[in-house]
Amino acid sequence: MAASVASLSYSAGTLLLTGVPVGRLHGWMPDVGWVYDDRAGACRSDAQHNIRVTAELERRRIRFENRIPVAREVHWRGESICELRREQLAAVEAWQQSGGRGCIVMPTGTGKTEVALRIMQLTRVSTLVVAPVRDLMYQWHQRILGSLNYDAGIIGDNIHRVHPVSVTTYDSACIHMPTLGDQFGLIIFDECHHLPGPIRRDAARMSAAGYRLGLTATLERSDGLHGDLRGLIGPTVYELSITAVRGKALADYDVVRIPVHLSASEQRRYEILAEEVQTYFYQARQAEPGFTWEQLCMSSAVSGDARRALRAFHAKKSIEDRAEEKLQTLEDLFRLHAHERCIVFAGSNAMARDVSMRFLIPCLLSHCGKRERQEILEGFASGRYRAIVANQVLDEGIDVPAAKVAIVIGGLGSSRQARQRLGRILRRSGNERAILYEVVCVGTKDEQRSRERRRHETFKGIRRKRGRSAC
Amino acid sequence: MLTRQQSLFVNDYQRGLVIPDRLNQRTHACYESLAERMLEVYRLGTGRRRRELHRDVHQLFEADPECPLRRIEAFCKLLDDRAVYATQDRRAAAALRRAVFGEAAAMHPLVERRDQLFEHSAEDVRRQISERLQRDWQDISDNLFADVIEFNRLESFPGYAGPRELLSRYNVAQIQAALFSAIAITVRSGADFKRILRAARLARLMHTISRADSGGWQIELTGPASVLRETRRYGVNFARFLPALICCSDWKMEAVMETRGLRNLRLLLSSADGLRSHLPPDDEFDSAIEADFAAKWGEEPREGWKLLREAEILHAGQKTFIPDFVLEHKTGRRVLLEIIGFWTPEYLEQRIRTLSVFKDVQILLAVQEAKLTRIAAEVKGAEIIPFRKSLLVKAVLEALLGREGSGDR
Repeated sequence: MAASVASLSYSAGTLLLTGVPVGRLHGWMPDVGWVYDDRAGACRSDAQHNIRVTAELERRRIRFENRIPVAREVHWRGESICELRREQLAAVEAWQQSGGRGCIVMPTGTGKTEVALRIMQLTRVSTLVVAPVRDLMYQWHQRILGSLNYDAGIIGDNIHRVHPVSVTTYDSACIHMPTLGDQFGLIIFDECHHLPGPIRRDAARMSAAGYRLGLTATLERSDGLHGDLRGLIGPTVYELSITAVRGKALADYDVVRIPVHLSASEQRRYEILAEEVQTYFYQARQAEPGFTWEQLCMSSAVSGDARRALRAFHAKKSIEDRAEEKLQTLEDLFRLHAHERCIVFAGSNAMARDVSMRFLIPCLLSHCGKRERQEILEGFASGRYRAIVANQVLDEGIDVPAAKVAIVIGGLGSSRQARQRLGRILRRSGNERAILYEVVCVGTKDEQRSRERRRHETFKGIRRKRGRSAC
Repeated sequence: MLTRQQSLFVNDYQRGLVIPDRLNQRTHACYESLAERMLEVYRLGTGRRRRELHRDVHQLFEADPECPLRRIEAFCKLLDDRAVYATQDRRAAAALRRAVFGEAAAMHPLVERRDQLFEHSAEDVRRQISERLQRDWQDISDNLFADVIEFNRLESFPGYAGPRELLSRYNVAQIQAALFSAIAITVRSGADFKRILRAARLARLMHTISRADSGGWQIELTGPASVLRETRRYGVNFARFLPALICCSDWKMEAVMETRGLRNLRLLLSSADGLRSHLPPDDEFDSAIEADFAAKWGEEPREGWKLLREAEILHAGQKTFIPDFVLEHKTGRRVLLEIIGFWTPEYLEQRIRTLSVFKDVQILLAVQEAKLTRIAAEVKGAEIIPFRKSLLVKAVLEALLGREGSGDR
């Protein structure tokens, strides 16, 4: 054996380096966090430091055998990417100037996907695109096929087809990264605010890719972990705020709030359930001040009174979600916009199915197969279906063909979800203004959730109509 | 396996322990009959929807209002795990939706009462579609979402052998679910370490082996990235490892759990806890040849040599080798014996490569050779005892004596 030539290899999501003492490595690259692993007889670090480590060893003129595969080059055949707008070009350039590492923050509907496709086209290297859910994964597959004329591999949804350019979901990426991490030169995190979860971040840490791109409309997370994106992907290299593009790249929009009332019998049941919940809540607070519903839902040993209270709580929420008058209001709105494309967002799968059953319009739920989903979206784009209903699948980034009317009849209060839903109807097409209707039960939690939704700056300074605007 | 949402455990901060929910005959006597009734719901439930079955199981627990919700949900999951739901519904339901929504699309919006502007009432359209598809509307609406998981229909229920089996599965499943939060586990093992190591390898875990103070071996199991930081990433691997561990005998396990910010809690388990695995126990002996040889040698020493089964682990990094037998002389000298029954040249080659890592130990290799050809030429670096049908005690003793004669250490 030649006098201990060092060797660097990829091992299950980590780098293994033999032949260099760990103390030296600490001195040379204190930020990499090398650890000596006596199970393997080598120094180990996260695979994400691959490029940094290689460069450092070369700079120090250390002779080492690099067993990490070189990222494969990709030759595109006949790409057709539409011309980018000024702000899109600026985003691409900013990413390139930061050495091919960083996050781009652009509101939904301003063409983040085109920016990423252009970056893929220019980088010409094996690429893995990580999307939050499988629908988005398939959508990326379509976009790559359409723009770069490349049939990308799919990792997820019970498919494991790895190609030099592949698409996957965060969950699959996290599970499979130990076996995939050395095969891609560029990794793209779509909706990258999902990345910093304690385990999910392994999707970035275990990848040896040198080029990294994060895309999102909303960088911040309520837990503050978005700060970690800098280390996992790179700095924020470009940011475009939603107010800067309103009325330019995006359609202008109105938010219209429509209050509805529970029927007499719903109201009676609602009050009984609410009292049951409040009684429990009051007692729990006596025992433990500051006790919250989240705590109750999270706690594993829900039994006795708590079990009954939780059931009452769900029943109460179900009444809000599925109030009969919401369906009547929906009919009014469908009448008003009979010739426009409407998307309805329901608060639960059950309500989405109720709407689908009542109006016989397609509903996009998680049980829909890929083909059915495609068919529904295509039918919606062509105008064959004038209305569709969805629960959460459309929450993020799914390309919905230029809908001008969105109707929220239930859902959570988080501002990100609301913003993304809003983004859905803001797609640029013509000069019509978009409308977002919020149908809210008066005097229920529904109303409070609606207030929470609006708290975000996006909703401020927007013209509002009041009252029952339909008919 | 259960999901995190069905996992039920108590943190005992006083003793620093995580205690997964466990049902036993003393404190949960009523559960045997509850389990029987749950099985009954599924056995008689062919053709019913998943949601109805779950509702019935929940109903059974009305008798025990103190029962935590998660326990009920866990039982539903375990019953579903052994149930077969109809799958051909999926295409049929999607096709039905396409037909119904396609018909209705041109008539959007369907109104409650028709008027001059909108002339399609929901009722008329339903009747129209029903005629077009030649199906009752009730039938259509029953099947429109038949592929939604809650609406799947039970086709058959292979299930569990009996209520006890269901309860055993529940107890193990709750420990598995708790292990999702484990960051490392240590197993102390007396005799059964070979099967334990094999199970760990199948679960893709890395090991660190050392002699335990109490005698026997201590095996620490983690994943590759565990050395960089404490991570729950390998919790699923630990959970997968557990049923195989439970099949083994003579062990103690300690799992270190991740507890957000709090001091580390532990989950303790041992082969004396009376858990039962749903896996079939694997054979004690790898092959009949070994069992046969051990029987022939007997318990008593022969010519001063005692035969011990799987009493040694040779380990270097992640390579381990557990020879079938250790021959221990009354003088304390130890010689290892490995029996290779059926083999291919590739298998033999790989075995030899493993052995070459441990070249400073003495190993006798007994190789079955139907035709007794020139095996020695193919195998370098190990002493070979060829045999035909069964390994003879005499042949091994000769090899041992030959060794003594040659004056090896």
